Amino acid sequence: MSTVLPDLSDALADAVSSAADGLVRVEGRDRLPATGIVWDAEGLIVTSHHVLERDENIKVGFQDGESVAAELVGRDPSTDLALLRTSKRGSSVPAWAEADSLRVGHLALALGRPGASVRATMGIISVLGQAWRTPAGGPVDRYLQTDTVMYPGFSGGPLVDSQGRFVGLNTSALVRGVSITVPEPTIRRVVQDLEKHGSVRRAYLGIGAQPTRLPDALAKELGQETGLLLVSVEPGSPAEEGKLFLGDTLVTLGESPVRHMDDLFNGLDGERIGKSLAVRIIRGGQLVDLTVSPVSHP
Amino acid sequence: MMTTLLPKLNSDLGELADRVRRSLVHVSVGRRGSGSGVVFTSDGLVVTNAHVVSGGRDRNSQTSEFQVTMPGGTTVKAVLLAKDDGIDVAVLKIETPGDKTPEIFPIDMGDSRSLRAGQWVMAMGHPGGVAGAAVAGIVIGAGPDLPEAPGSGRDWVAVDLALRPGHSGGPLVDHHGRLIGISTIMAGLDVGMAVPAHVIEEFVAKVVAGDFGGGGDSVLV
Repeated sequence: MSTVLPDLSDALADAVSSAADGLVRVEGRDRLPATGIVWDAEGLIVTSHHVLERDENIKVGFQDGESVAAELVGRDPSTDLALLRTSKRGSSVPAWAEADSLRVGHLALALGRPGASVRATMGIISVLGQAWRTPAGGPVDRYLQTDTVMYPGFSGGPLVDSQGRFVGLNTSALVRGVSITVPEPTIRRVVQDLEKHGSVRRAYLGIGAQPTRLPDALAKELGQETGLLLVSVEPGSPAEEGKLFLGDTLVTLGESPVRHMDDLFNGLDGERIGKSLAVRIIRGGQLVDLTVSPVSHP
Repeated sequence: MMTTLLPKLNSDLGELADRVRRSLVHVSVGRRGSGSGVVFTSDGLVVTNAHVVSGGRDRNSQTSEFQVTMPGGTTVKAVLLAKDDGIDVAVLKIETPGDKTPEIFPIDMGDSRSLRAGQWVMAMGHPGGVAGAAVAGIVIGAGPDLPEAPGSGRDWVAVDLALRPGHSGGPLVDHHGRLIGISTIMAGLDVGMAVPAHVIEEFVAKVVAGDFGGGGDSVLV
């Protein structure tokens, strides 16, 4: 026999060991603790939003056995991320790898620290896709799915590559039944928002909408085949104040055509809050131009 | 660029499975149930789970009837020496009468006290009656503080592979084919739990020594 199998086994266990310093235990719910990742040497920890079932009395346990109180800086349910601040200084910060360095088929490890020590499951990169939106509307830079088993308490822990480098944060809550990893660029963006504002700011109009096909003549005139039919307008919302009505079809937001729900989400980032925004709708077969002022998402 | 790594790996995996299969037996308890077992010593001790053999004793009689099917296909009778429901381990001795003695290959022993999260493992058994099937994965973790581990304070090895009924009592081995536990229960579809080899070794040592002083759930049969 060659040494391939022992070498593989040792390499996997080494990858787990080398990642261990960057993993913490997060105690923020009554049942099993979950996992978090050391974000910087100043005591910041990223974890999953859904494993924090309370805002206070959160504890974080480190590799060296120390357990410290943590303050919730903020959470973003749309990407299932949360940021904690601890008094722990000088933790070694994990090395991050870009998702671009991965290929479908590569071995990867999901790590967790639901107890005192680090636990691991192994799988391969199943899907490495483009940017996507979570069912809750959160923008994520890459769709990254593995066939690793999310062992109890693994949410909030890292996906680790063959060299022990962190690739993203695993969560079992974004899509039911599959292991999804939120890649590092998304975490970085959310962490910045949470540090600055305590939340991820998104603009809000107060509408419910669904895609609808446009009449042929208007489709030709606008150069788009679909728009968004308003199926609800919240009372007192920016949409109502801007004179949008149930049954209107939204076709333009600012300068951009609105064809699908994604166009609406993309058009309502935090920068739009409190600013006038031109919208174009179809009402009674006619194009109508209106102005709305989005507020911060409640 | 393809290298020769994967063909090498596959060749080693096949060789390892063949080697471990020589120590893998099928244990059946009359018509009441069956599972897997591991040849533990060269004089014919076989270990399996206590829950595999627990159907073997008739309520109304003390007779225990076990058949052990060796890797070569020979079926021999076995007697139950001892079992401990607390650690879910049972020890059988196969009868080796005269010229019908089957070839006995005891499994190599590994070190289940120094397992590392991430290290490679393979389980073999007879899931769903399929003889000598192999599944591989890694060690999730070992010790007494694993989530969803039954029995507080008991040592377990958790592995990320799919154990199924029929795997019970079969060997869990490391990358050298050395025994690090016996497959015992499923904890979810893709997580298996094994009784660590050191727990089994301690129990077998007690059985061989005939020492059960205050042994809790242990029964000398």
